[in-house]
Amino acid sequence: MADTSVGTRRTLQLQERGEAGPGTRADEVVIGISPAFGDFFTKTIVDIPHAEVLRELLAGIEEQGVQSRVIRYRGGSDLAVIAHAAAKLSGSGIGIGVLSRGTTMIHQKDLVRLSNLELFPQAPLMDLETFRKVGRNAARYAKGESPEPVPARNDFMARPRWQAKAALLHIKETEFVQQGAAPVELDVRIQLADAG
Amino acid sequence: MALVVGVDIGNSTTEACVAEIGENEPRYLASALAPTSGVKGTADNVPGVVKVVQEALSAAGRAQDELSAVLVNEATPVISGLAMETITETIITESTMIGHNPDTPGGAGLGVGTTVAFGALGDCEPGAKVICVVGTGVDFEDAAAGINAAAERGVEVTGAVVHADDATLIANRLRTPIPVVDEVTLVERVPLGMRAAVEVAEPGRTIRTLSNSYGIATLFELDPEQTRMIAPVARALVGNRSAVVVRTPAGDIADRRIPAGTLTLIGEHSRLSVGMDAGAEEIMATLRRVRPLEDATGEAGTHVGGMLATVRDTMAELAGSGDVRIQDVLAVDTFVPQKVTGALAGEFALESAVALAAMVRTSRGPMEALAAQLAAALDVEVRVGGVEADMAVLGALTTPGTDRPVAILDLGGGSTDAALATSDGVVRSVHLAGAGDLVTKLIDSELGLDDRELAEDIKKFPLAKAESFFHVRMEDGTARFFEKPLPTETFARVVVLGDAGMRPVPTRHSLDKIRQVRRSAKHKVFVVNAVRALEQVAPGGNLRQIGFVVVLGGSALDFEIPDLIAEAVADAGIVCGTGNVRGVEGPRNAVATGLVEALRCP
Repeated sequence: MADTSVGTRRTLQLQERGEAGPGTRADEVVIGISPAFGDFFTKTIVDIPHAEVLRELLAGIEEQGVQSRVIRYRGGSDLAVIAHAAAKLSGSGIGIGVLSRGTTMIHQKDLVRLSNLELFPQAPLMDLETFRKVGRNAARYAKGESPEPVPARNDFMARPRWQAKAALLHIKETEFVQQGAAPVELDVRIQLADAG
Repeated sequence: MALVVGVDIGNSTTEACVAEIGENEPRYLASALAPTSGVKGTADNVPGVVKVVQEALSAAGRAQDELSAVLVNEATPVISGLAMETITETIITESTMIGHNPDTPGGAGLGVGTTVAFGALGDCEPGAKVICVVGTGVDFEDAAAGINAAAERGVEVTGAVVHADDATLIANRLRTPIPVVDEVTLVERVPLGMRAAVEVAEPGRTIRTLSNSYGIATLFELDPEQTRMIAPVARALVGNRSAVVVRTPAGDIADRRIPAGTLTLIGEHSRLSVGMDAGAEEIMATLRRVRPLEDATGEAGTHVGGMLATVRDTMAELAGSGDVRIQDVLAVDTFVPQKVTGALAGEFALESAVALAAMVRTSRGPMEALAAQLAAALDVEVRVGGVEADMAVLGALTTPGTDRPVAILDLGGGSTDAALATSDGVVRSVHLAGAGDLVTKLIDSELGLDDRELAEDIKKFPLAKAESFFHVRMEDGTARFFEKPLPTETFARVVVLGDAGMRPVPTRHSLDKIRQVRRSAKHKVFVVNAVRALEQVAPGGNLRQIGFVVVLGGSALDFEIPDLIAEAVADAGIVCGTGNVRGVEGPRNAVATGLVEALRCP
């Protein structure tokens, strides 16, 4: 299980900055978050705070020397749709989609929507280390490198154990979908909780 | 008119051609090829031969009962064995060096100071020059904040060594940029309180100071004797983008040669031993001195001994006699990526290795048994005749534009054969160890693939890089576009453009690196063997006496091997090219055609 003790210290502030436009820089990765990510929901299915999830994704991208933008996809709660929308807005054509419960995907703009570059379907197995690697690999794709895919973990007990909770979380997330609403650009501030 | 089929049983493929023989030139009707069943020259070949004869006949539209004879070459079994021996080992004692190359070191420049653990940074005196060692579990923001705070107090933090993949993240958050080396997995073993230097080069450049012995000597104020000791460290760091050197009292890095057994080469007149660790060049030079080779043995209890024993046993089993002699060996220098002993960051070093191919050949295999079984299976007369090399020459001469004196080079899977036919009809031939299989093995080990099938594909097909879902960049730099998106697994990867589509190469090697390994493996085996073979058949060993060279065999279909060989022998004024048997068959079917041709000119 992921160590969440370090994570409780940080807060996530997401400031909307209007409709998200297509990027012009070839060295950027766009992270698309689901309608209720870091908003109604504040942590994943295994209680990893969204502040830490986003921080690790961003850190993984930054470590590779690549720029990042974060958008909120409001028009749906389907991971492939969110990730593909992020990829299409990304100057490099590479996007990451992440759902509130932690399921994550790396997408590319030229792919068909239901395809993907890398998919991490089992939200309960996503820890901070994996989120960092997802960010790192997305940035490497953006740079035109050939990263080895992040090892996909698989726990055959995850499905029976977590399926009910995952379904509930998905239904709740879907309640926040605003049909037809455009993705919005976000300003991300991640701070230590005691620093105000 | 008589209908005959010429059959050539090769190491990996069996080829046949159907022809009508009359007063005039033979009339060729059709040809076929199939994989050889069993080891060449044994009764196991019968099913393969039957299949290929039937295929050829049906392609010619003839029935089996019209057939008057099947001509089979004198197939002498050639068995080759391969072995590889690592002969060097890099050992680091007492954490002298971190020579690994993280993908993303942070900052740039050179920092020198005393190593201090991150937790003890607060206790440093202002004005002290320190290298900060950040261990496991320290967050990048905390690390950056700690270094910034220390710098504010007047402590000169000149560089950092980090456990996690955090170098850029930390460097981006520092007020004063310093070089940061990360992904040092065993960071807790970096000695503290020692003088150390951290160097990071700008992207696309390599370090200049720590890869220079005098650079290290200047930083650590070494005397000439100590500089001599540190020289291997500098050498090991050449070509890196980042490095850390810690000066410890007894630290050292050694480049050790591993005793790898000796190979004894027994010639007609002399017997010489050579250590495997002497390298390929020395082994091949020794071989030249004892030539012609009668036998070779390896030191018992070593790899080379074990390998030669295996080849010998397999051969003895087939030939039914215990007296089997090794007729040729080919040694090739290669590299094997190996983990460095004592390293702090899981570094790999390319260690030298020697690959060895050996070949045995009997005078006459169980051909009578094969012929009898084949005659029974096809209900037709079977004639075993003709030395393989003579037949290959006859077949090669059907290539338009060739004439005697002609030399053939038959590039197969296990052996490279050559024969020379002089103007007066005398044929000299030679069989050498090392061919396609050895190339595959070299590619496999030098790239660290551990996947023979993939190595085989890399050998056979050109490379490309999938730059987007709709285009690839070929290895010659041209782009090729596609209407439909490429498969997802090929995106951003180096791919092999095989017959069955694109196959991604799951390594981080660049296209250039894979191409260079592939070409050098082919050069080391085929070009070396081609020159060696031609020298042995040429009159007086003089390549200039050979007029034409025709390249035959499965490896002659390769997209670059014939060119590599043509380039290598061009200096000797030789016309060299891939054969085109009967003007239609390409480099295939030479021996089968030669068998039919031989009927005409006894």
